[in-house]
Amino acid sequence: MISTSFVALAHNQAKVLGMPSMPTVVLPHPIGGTPLDSVLAKLDAVLPEIIAKLTTALPAEVADTKTAGTSSTWVDIGTSDEWHGLQCEFIERGWGDGLPLVPPTEARVAAMVGGAGLPKQHIVGVVAPSMGVATVELIAANAVMAGCRPEHMPVLVAAVQALVEPQFNLYGCQATTHCVAPLLIVSGPLTQKLNIHGGSGMFGPGPWANGVIGRAVRLILLNIGGAKPVDIDKATMGHPGKYTFCIAENEEASPWPTLRAERGYTGDVSTVTVVGGEAPHNINDHESTTANGVLTTVCGAMAESGQNTVYYKAEPLLILGPEHAATIAAEGFTKDDVKRCIYDNARIPMTRFSQEIIERRFWRRLPIRYRNMHLDTMVTVAHRPEDVMVMVGGGAGKHSMWVPTFGSTRSVTRAILKSDCTAWLPSDF
Amino acid sequence: MKLCSPAGHTLPLGLSAVARPRSLEGLRIGLLDNSKPPVDKMFAHIERQLRATVPGVEIYSVSKQVASQPADAKIMQGLRQNCDVVINALGD
Repeated sequence: MISTSFVALAHNQAKVLGMPSMPTVVLPHPIGGTPLDSVLAKLDAVLPEIIAKLTTALPAEVADTKTAGTSSTWVDIGTSDEWHGLQCEFIERGWGDGLPLVPPTEARVAAMVGGAGLPKQHIVGVVAPSMGVATVELIAANAVMAGCRPEHMPVLVAAVQALVEPQFNLYGCQATTHCVAPLLIVSGPLTQKLNIHGGSGMFGPGPWANGVIGRAVRLILLNIGGAKPVDIDKATMGHPGKYTFCIAENEEASPWPTLRAERGYTGDVSTVTVVGGEAPHNINDHESTTANGVLTTVCGAMAESGQNTVYYKAEPLLILGPEHAATIAAEGFTKDDVKRCIYDNARIPMTRFSQEIIERRFWRRLPIRYRNMHLDTMVTVAHRPEDVMVMVGGGAGKHSMWVPTFGSTRSVTRAILKSDCTAWLPSDF
Repeated sequence: MKLCSPAGHTLPLGLSAVARPRSLEGLRIGLLDNSKPPVDKMFAHIERQLRATVPGVEIYSVSKQVASQPADAKIMQGLRQNCDVVINALGD
């Protein structure tokens, strides 16, 4: 039972499950947020069809012979006008993100595979929602198209490993109407060697590797995962980070243990952390000279209704600019103190939510936390202080940012490792 | 020019649907709410209609906790044990 806007997604899901002939009944979109009378009228109109489809024999499924291989598909593309013709061909084939792509020739893909230090048919993960098999060679082809260099491959392999971990909920992130995109946070000594930027203007633009690495991940999600916008990626709005969304942690400017260290990695081990995030929201505070002052502004910025973060057991991400971080740390605040402060003070009056949201999102979906709570309740942006993620990034200036998340996702950190499970080091490149 | 297709091969999960009954009479019908509003009210309506028109029908209702997460093992086991056919809701 589907609304019209979700038919392609439902059929894709049925195909992935191995049941492309799964019967469906389609109701006119929208359903949610419309008067119940009109919804029930739509339902009455299809009730006979529901019963009929539950009692009609299904056709025998035809086995999909194109599935489950680890060999890449190579295609001959002839064109007289190489650049323009190729780009048109890419668009025609549904490859890519709409921006010009570097042609994944045999030589370029082979060189990119070489950067991974893994066999080309090695399976790194299975990418939702189409459950596409991400071999090293397919990751390499997408990396070529994004403009990556071979030395970026270890970062991409670790990123895909993180994205396919169940707690990240890639299927949900790829198919939801929410605007979520995986934010890659690269930490450790490889960031400098690979020119992954965590300083001024790190979200871009700039002549760093951030853009191409983030774009390669998006191409992997589009081409291997099959999250084609409109039909499968159902984002109502999307956000610019769905083109590319990659930063480095500014470890040198951090007065506290790094995100990497909090996740158990130190020394020479570099990491990738994936966060299912919205577009970052800026926090401007040029005036405060105290920890309390900066954190008051931060908590005020984070306390907004309508964000997914409050509806789930989520991990909101705070990226403190180095100057804000220094002001806070100068008074002896630890990172845990910052998390506790946000948990205690970034709170939203229940009156900022509609009665319908209060009843369904809070009373019914989060009963342990909010049942019997009333309009004077203050809603937190995380369920526990330790769920608030804090890192330092960016450069000079009195700005920080926070990234609300999809909510129904947990961040995942993976070490950037070679095939023998030792860390890739700057000296390897 | 020979190029590598960046598109992935799908790894199907290989599930299959149960054979369809000829009638719903006396069967156990599962209603899997994806937790989006107002599916609970829609399923309540379907339940009323089915009980009124199909003799001996039994209804087994269950709701996912989070729409964007797969139904968990407990929900799936309940559906397997208690239902002959299932109606699932998807979308907004």
